Amino acid sequence: MSGLSIAQISNPSQLYKSGLVATCANCHGTNGNGVVGASIPLINTFTSEQMLTQLQAYKNGSREGTIMPQLAKGYTDEQLETIALQLGKKR
Amino acid sequence: MNRRHFLGQSVAGLGLLAGFSGQARANLQKAEILVIGGGYGGATAAKYLRLFSNNTARVTLIEPNAAFLSCPLSNLVVGGSRTMADITSSYDNLSKRHGVKVIQDSVVSIDPDKKTAKLASGKILSYDKAVVSPGVSLIMSSIEGLAQANKEGVTLQAWKAGSETVTLHKQLAAMRDGGVFAISIPEAPYRCPPGPYERACQVANYLKQHKPKSKVLILDANQDVTSKGALFKKVWAEQYPGLIDYRPRNNVIAVDAKTKTLKVEVEDDVKADVLNILPAMSAGAIAVNTGLANSNGRWVNVNYLNFESTAQKDIHVLGDSIQVAPAMPKSGHMANQHAKVAAAAIVAELSGWEVNPAPVLTNTCYSFVNERQTIHVASVHQYTPEKKTFEPVHGAGGLSPAPSTLEGIYAWGWAHNIWADSLA
Repeated sequence: MSGLSIAQISNPSQLYKSGLVATCANCHGTNGNGVVGASIPLINTFTSEQMLTQLQAYKNGSREGTIMPQLAKGYTDEQLETIALQLGKKR
Repeated sequence: MNRRHFLGQSVAGLGLLAGFSGQARANLQKAEILVIGGGYGGATAAKYLRLFSNNTARVTLIEPNAAFLSCPLSNLVVGGSRTMADITSSYDNLSKRHGVKVIQDSVVSIDPDKKTAKLASGKILSYDKAVVSPGVSLIMSSIEGLAQANKEGVTLQAWKAGSETVTLHKQLAAMRDGGVFAISIPEAPYRCPPGPYERACQVANYLKQHKPKSKVLILDANQDVTSKGALFKKVWAEQYPGLIDYRPRNNVIAVDAKTKTLKVEVEDDVKADVLNILPAMSAGAIAVNTGLANSNGRWVNVNYLNFESTAQKDIHVLGDSIQVAPAMPKSGHMANQHAKVAAAAIVAELSGWEVNPAPVLTNTCYSFVNERQTIHVASVHQYTPEKKTFEPVHGAGGLSPAPSTLEGIYAWGWAHNIWADSLA
């Protein structure tokens, strides 16, 4: 049911944020719910804080990887924060 | 209500919870949105139009194929290490889970003035917004004798996953040891820049194991390998020594089906056993025939903020059919990303909102160099308002350092996730 788990959108800002988050979905699943067992690391277990730490580490080069270090560098810090806030598991 | 609880709601019930105000919400709900083509672009657009509208928009997808056939990874079927079943997905979840009306048919014409689309079955559908995502058309007339040779089954293109993909593998399997498998590449832009070079690897991988006296001949109209060049050349030298003959600036202009001979501009004629000839490409036929291809008559210029055609209002065009922004590849991943920007923009417009002024696109593309290892290219594209286009972010993106088995595993993970993101 991953497809239905997108948050309700009731204003433009929510729509833009959902659009930004959707750039991750090709590899990590719609709204961060990746296909279980499909080999790409699942990100839906992270809190927003944990996710932001990882994204920043990819961006500043302190964490290695294959695709993510290259993609994280293409987003602004603000965009990474939005992604982490939207996709991170709420405590 | 927590998110998990929320999942239990019925699709119909979701719309009632939407926070859209008055008239705007009514416009979104009553609009007929027609998505033409169910590939990476169209299928994603249909799903995300529903998601971004809180499942209120009325979305119909017209697609001639009964199932989704992936072009990415189809070269593994040509090479024989995978089957069509591995790259085929169902459209069922688009209707069952997301409430998209899926019609198996093809659109034969669009009337932009009346805002209608005519289907092959004769049915005429009205639209308020049309999303056109027809992929590419192969311009068979660009190479003399090609249409006839294809008709006779002598030269296949297999540039859209389907029966030709399987038949091309059969031609490879039936080729004599010592034979030549020729792949010709048109001048860029064409669908899937690294695709022909990946195919050369897959064919060579097969030949290495089964017919080692044979050769892959790549006749490339371009100056050099158009994508992942250094990586591909290293693979050819190290994994397939003597098996791949790469010839840049070799533009195939004619094919003789009877003698299996290719005429190459300025160069000598070439004979081969299997002829996999890729001609120049254009936007999909329905886009061209609707008068949307206003870039050299081949590609569709769009407003990159909403992917609306600059030739016709309320027709949004996605994927391989568009005139690309700088360094934007014609890839399935990119089509999926176009679709999300377009879907959000259409929902915004129908809600009476400004469209997102700063959309972002990414691209990730894996190429298999044998049955296990891949190489990748990735990029991020931010919208630049001053230039009204997407530009790749300097310092972001890049290539694999070398072929990788881990990335080969990730490539299948990418595939299963993007298929789910587009279809499930």
